[in-house]
Amino acid sequence: MAETAREQVPVTKRSLFSWVWESDLKLQILLLAIIVVTVFARVLPLELQKKIINHAIGQRKLDMLLVYCGYYLIAVVTAGGLKYAIGVIQTKIGQAALANLRKKLYEHILVLPLNYFRKTQAGMVVSSLVTEIVPVGDFVGMALAIPVTNVLTLLAFGGYLFYLNWKMALITMAIYPIIILLIPRLQRKTNQANKKRVDATREISSRIAEVVTGIHEVHGNGSYAIENRKFGEQCDTLERHRVTWNLYKMGVKALNNFIVNLAPFTLFLVGGYLIIQGQFDLGALVAFLSAQEKLFEPWKELMDFYQVYQDASVRYSRTLEYFDEPIEHALAPSGRAPMKLEPRIEIERLSFVVEGGIRLLSDVNMRIEPGEHLALVGFSGSGKSTLALCVGQLYKYTSGSLRLGGQEVAELSKQDMAENLGFVSQAPFIFTGTIRENLLYSCEAALHGAAPVEGGNMPSLDDQIAALQQAGIFVDVLRFGLNAFLRDGSDAALTERLIRVRASFRQEYGEALTDVVEFFDERVYLLHSSVAANLTFGSSTDPAWAGERLARNPAFRAFLDEVQLGGPLLALGGQIAQSTVDILGNLPKDAVFFEGSPIPAETIDEYKDIVRRMARSRLFELPEEDRDRLMDLALGFTPGRHKMVSMPEMLEGMLLEARARFRARIEAERPGVFAFYRADEYLGSQTILDNILFGKAKSLSPQVQEKINQSIIQLLIEEDLLEAIVALGMEFQVGSKGDKLSGGQRQKLAIARCFLKQPRLLIMDEATSALDNKSQARIQNLLETRYKGRSTLIAVVHRLDIIKNYDKVAVMKAGKIVELGGYAELIARKGALYELVHGKK
Amino acid sequence: MNSSTEKNDAPACEKGASCEFQQNMELLRQTPLFAGLPLEPLKVLAYLAARESYRPGEMLFHQGESDGQAFHLVEGSARLLRETDGVVQELALYGPGVFLGGLALLGDMRRLFSLRAESPVVVLVLNREKFAKVVEQFPEIREKLMEAMVDLVRDWEKRFLLDHAGNCAACAASLGVSVV
Repeated sequence: MAETAREQVPVTKRSLFSWVWESDLKLQILLLAIIVVTVFARVLPLELQKKIINHAIGQRKLDMLLVYCGYYLIAVVTAGGLKYAIGVIQTKIGQAALANLRKKLYEHILVLPLNYFRKTQAGMVVSSLVTEIVPVGDFVGMALAIPVTNVLTLLAFGGYLFYLNWKMALITMAIYPIIILLIPRLQRKTNQANKKRVDATREISSRIAEVVTGIHEVHGNGSYAIENRKFGEQCDTLERHRVTWNLYKMGVKALNNFIVNLAPFTLFLVGGYLIIQGQFDLGALVAFLSAQEKLFEPWKELMDFYQVYQDASVRYSRTLEYFDEPIEHALAPSGRAPMKLEPRIEIERLSFVVEGGIRLLSDVNMRIEPGEHLALVGFSGSGKSTLALCVGQLYKYTSGSLRLGGQEVAELSKQDMAENLGFVSQAPFIFTGTIRENLLYSCEAALHGAAPVEGGNMPSLDDQIAALQQAGIFVDVLRFGLNAFLRDGSDAALTERLIRVRASFRQEYGEALTDVVEFFDERVYLLHSSVAANLTFGSSTDPAWAGERLARNPAFRAFLDEVQLGGPLLALGGQIAQSTVDILGNLPKDAVFFEGSPIPAETIDEYKDIVRRMARSRLFELPEEDRDRLMDLALGFTPGRHKMVSMPEMLEGMLLEARARFRARIEAERPGVFAFYRADEYLGSQTILDNILFGKAKSLSPQVQEKINQSIIQLLIEEDLLEAIVALGMEFQVGSKGDKLSGGQRQKLAIARCFLKQPRLLIMDEATSALDNKSQARIQNLLETRYKGRSTLIAVVHRLDIIKNYDKVAVMKAGKIVELGGYAELIARKGALYELVHGKK
Repeated sequence: MNSSTEKNDAPACEKGASCEFQQNMELLRQTPLFAGLPLEPLKVLAYLAARESYRPGEMLFHQGESDGQAFHLVEGSARLLRETDGVVQELALYGPGVFLGGLALLGDMRRLFSLRAESPVVVLVLNREKFAKVVEQFPEIREKLMEAMVDLVRDWEKRFLLDHAGNCAACAASLGVSVV
């Protein structure tokens, strides 16, 4: 089939025009049909014009005048409507082609070899896919419509002119060859000037950047005049180039206009003469003039199209050349399903030579039986990771043979590998999404596009939880679950059980944990709860009184003013905004930086503006919206977490007093709007953990978390709540690149996702390097008990204290295996491994 | 060194109760590794640094682990320990004002020692992940940090030479940390 044949051509080898042919054919045909009608609708008025003047006006026939004018109107309306329709279809075709090109190119980029990305900047890929190729879409949209419409229109008008009078038509047409001759030369000059302009712009930008960076030198030397002079010179140069460029550009237009406008002059002269001679009629001359004028529009559009084409083809070829690298492995096997392979690995005379003739692997020979565990050791740069990556098909070896289950790895498709391989890299990558999505990532990929069914072709929740436990990230996920909120209407049985946990927790650990937990207490100002929580000491049941709306609730604001807290809180909000913007204002919106910030990353830019306005006016003069936002900050302020500002002691006292008054006020005037904190009720506005604690943890540090976890887990097991909460925790959003997880958590999650897949071949490239001793030992133990004999393991190991129980150890040096054998055997030999373990003698 | 009594004229902090951020700032500025840094990155570090407290007997870090943390001892004292073949040897005792673990911020390093709180300890902690983010944001401080680290290593060995090298023949043979 033609379709599949086209699929075989890599996207980078395709011509710009291939995207036109691949666009929606039905739309294209519709477009052509519309174009033909449009051209007809464009020419018709000319003939009507002639008829109106000669037949209706000339012969004084009113009825004819009305009829012709009616036709004229219809033709004009049709032409206008159709032009719009063409625009719509053109946009659809163009944008579809652009999306298509983007998808194909992205698909291609994803499978490019790893080496390629080492030399490529991510920014370049982004700009290529996002902005560079946009004009290509515009071009594809125009590619058929514009030239066909305009050439047809030109031909139609031209033909009509010949039909009117061939001599005069020839005279009119005579100007176009002149234009075709002159314009390209001018255009070339324009392009040259444009290039100079681009260069000058680049120079001036780097100059500005340089001076901004070295501004202290300018201030130190008082060299303002020198810098102004240098900048002035460059500015003038840029001005010169811009003027030249614009002049040429306008020259092209002016020349075109001028020549085209010359035509009526010849027409009047020759046509007038012919009419006076009686060889031509007046109506025809008017029609001729109009037609001639109308030639100009399609002509101009063609020229514009020419420029778009030039631009698009330059960008297209440049972008695609950039990605024109051969793909090393087929994505899917052709004509068969992905193979399940026996995890036996046979390596013979394997070499991997990269550019510059550097031998990263040299003549490696090895055999690993199914279920055997191999540790690859050696100094950094010895090639141990490279060898593992070659086995995993992430690198393509350059000579020798590497067989997995008897099949040459180089010839297997990516899907074959995905079917058999589990891979944990040194710096595993976690993608935006939930814990669960990341956990199931490898399993879902191994479905090769089939629809995932949990418990069917995908692991069940129990399996998922087991994998979390094996990798040692279970407690972390439990913690995420504990930090989740239960929304209203969630099941009452659950909240009831949580309240029971709260009671037993208080009884068993209340005393011991007073230094890490701040328990809710009506008589005390809570440093680890927000100002709003301290004031209301309850959860709202009415959305108008919910935390995020409180600052904009008129009744609440009136209450604040009444207890004289309005002013002080606004001032506090101002302080918080100032200090936070000062520290975080110019930092990227990274979870690390915003974890302890009273201003969330999404709104920091708005607060930057408010702080700017605060510098110019006093707090109470700020716009109301700004004051509300400052009040938001003050109400959310939690001194125990937000360390950049301290809580004025006086304010604490006032808030405590206000707490009692607020409660009395609500109970009297709006009963039911708030559920005040009570030890026997679930608090909807608090996390599950805070509900169990009936308080807040005083620190987010691992030690404190550990202490709290230890006390809670047993209680959760007793109430059979553990799984429910872990399931909630698995919905935790890990942030962009998983930046809400620690390095160790990311590594554990990657290990869990690999274990969940239960691959036949496991490659672990220093997979436990970021883990503490205990976690590392647990995973090592698991590998030995559950995976030995079942899955083949190749582990690249940096720490030598964990390799004792591996079946084989291979010591690598400069791309070669220098020793291979059992651990005890090699240590006894007192060779390379002995030296690595005990240091050089 | 109780920094809560230190003068503080920053607008963000109330008189008397100087806020933790300001105190952290002061502490970091007294630390040789950070003293030379420009104010902007220093502010971010002071903001990211966390206060932790340990009870006597609790470990700040363990031998053999790569915890990637640096500590500024604010209150209390801590003991450095080294375990060899199951025998724990007690080494130096550190008091308030000491900064420990700068190397662990710069690169992945397994601890050769453990550190144990001897009295109730309050520390200011920075970890490598946060630290790396700051360095990424202010790349110009990399050089300053390197210089400070070079000075620290050199000064350490110089001090060692002055104090001990003369009367310990065994140590003299393996001297030369600063020439690695």
